[in-house]
Amino acid sequence: MIALIRSAMCDLMPATEHLPGVGDTGVTEFLHTVKRESGQMYWVGLVIGAWVYALTPFMTVFVPLPAFFLPASLRDKHAQRIMSTRLYLIRQAVFLVRLSAGLCWGRDPRVRERLGLSAYPLDPGTYRTT
Amino acid sequence: MSHIAFQPKGPEVELEADYVVVGSGAGGATAAHALARGGAKVMLVEAGPWRDPEDYPSSMYGTMRDMFEDFGATIAQGRAFWPVVQGALVGGSTVINSAIAVQTPADVFVRWEREHGVGGNGFRDALWKIQDDLSRELHATEVPPLARGKHNEYAMAASQKLGIEGHFMHRYVRDCEGKGQCLQGCKSKRKQSMNITFIPDMQQRGGTVVSCAPVDEVLFERGAAIGVTGTFRKPVTHERGAIRAKRGVLIAASVTQSPLILKRSGLRSRAIGEQFRSHPGAPIIGVYDEPIDMNQGATQGWASLAYREKPGFKLETLSLPLDMLAGRLSGGGAQLMQRLEEYRHFACWVQACRAESVGRVEAGPFGKPVVKYTLDRADMERFREGLVLVAKMHFAQGARAVLPGIHGMPYSLSRDEHGVSGLYIADASAIPSNLGVNPQHTIMALSRLWSEQILAQA
Repeated sequence: MIALIRSAMCDLMPATEHLPGVGDTGVTEFLHTVKRESGQMYWVGLVIGAWVYALTPFMTVFVPLPAFFLPASLRDKHAQRIMSTRLYLIRQAVFLVRLSAGLCWGRDPRVRERLGLSAYPLDPGTYRTT
Repeated sequence: MSHIAFQPKGPEVELEADYVVVGSGAGGATAAHALARGGAKVMLVEAGPWRDPEDYPSSMYGTMRDMFEDFGATIAQGRAFWPVVQGALVGGSTVINSAIAVQTPADVFVRWEREHGVGGNGFRDALWKIQDDLSRELHATEVPPLARGKHNEYAMAASQKLGIEGHFMHRYVRDCEGKGQCLQGCKSKRKQSMNITFIPDMQQRGGTVVSCAPVDEVLFERGAAIGVTGTFRKPVTHERGAIRAKRGVLIAASVTQSPLILKRSGLRSRAIGEQFRSHPGAPIIGVYDEPIDMNQGATQGWASLAYREKPGFKLETLSLPLDMLAGRLSGGGAQLMQRLEEYRHFACWVQACRAESVGRVEAGPFGKPVVKYTLDRADMERFREGLVLVAKMHFAQGARAVLPGIHGMPYSLSRDEHGVSGLYIADASAIPSNLGVNPQHTIMALSRLWSEQILAQA
């Protein structure tokens, strides 16, 4: 399942000439962390979103294949079109995948450096116990 | 003992106080503080953990994990899905919001009196006096020039060009540094959130905080609320806890959680969970030739209430961190990435609609709150009008492009609730109409007013 979600995320946020893509920012490890730490609803939503993304190229690029079998140029076209489809539920299902991709990508030190932003310190994850 | 975080396996935890306050956000913490100040022994019970500013995360992932209710997955469902963002830690949403302090507008009291029989001039004056006191105690000041950032200053300039009233916000922030991290919690302790202000003060007056302790239900005996029960978590010990209240229980767990607690407690009033209202909003991002660096300066520093009464929306600035904006910007693939390359040139301004539509809060899967909420046509038209105006402001300020890209209230009119004694509501659930301004200052003032009345009657 993680491979499926990762594939959708990498299509939605690919590397460009100037910026690393989400695939360059430790997304597999990130997804393992999300699975461990997030609530059930969030993870289920992510899985559903990844399946919706994978199974909808027939609607966007008119090719009856899952997204992960498409050539790079069609995958990019699918990523663009699925995020602007007029079918709200489809767009919203994939939104969670892209939101999660953004959370992973936007905290990466290399991405932040390229954009002239300071790196985030580590999230402590601590709280008072006494 | 003034803080109980959780209890290891052992006998059931049993505590006792004069008043038990459920929820430690703007309403709960203010009530607990007012009661403790009046000499009562108070237990403040919070479902989330207590995080000090040095525990705050920096990334948005960490923020969603550590500080948002249910990982930020609480949504209002209708024809569209709106996120309902709430803080889930000691201090509640006051830790993650922009600490905006706006006096309750005069017309709100007129409407409450006309439609619900509450309010009037005496009530208005009492509430305004409390709001003045709160502003002084929590250092509500205008965003200082050095903390405004280009993002807020451009909004002011744009509004002036279009002849729209606009102002730099008043916020509960002391000497703001303009680090643009209100959403992740202010590590510099400048934002006067409840966890660093009223709650420690309440402890000094003998109050106790019980954290990591979601309340399951209110206990009743002969028609009177006598305490609450819950199960400690973080770590999950499944340890039951009961807190007895000698004089009363105040529920201030938020507009989504309070109705569920009341329903689980066996209360059957048809009003519970009804009349949810909100200010649904949406951003328009302006792309400028020069860098704006919206991550520098106050997260929310400018607002306009010029259209609050008619047609019914407010305009505000809202800076979004890169890791949040990347998920919210429209588009996908290479097109999205090309847009993100210009992050430093973005200014994000928002319209928030003073919606008249009404929703409902229900228990959903796993006992989580589900909000059923759909905007009607009139609200959608207000919404569109607001967005168009934000786009016009960007263009007036010289944006070369704009990129089109939520908040809440259930029902009760009195603090003494639902045909039982000793049970009071002290959060936004008790506000009967949409204010058209940020509600925190009103929630806190109402909470203090009612707490003082409860003490006077005790």
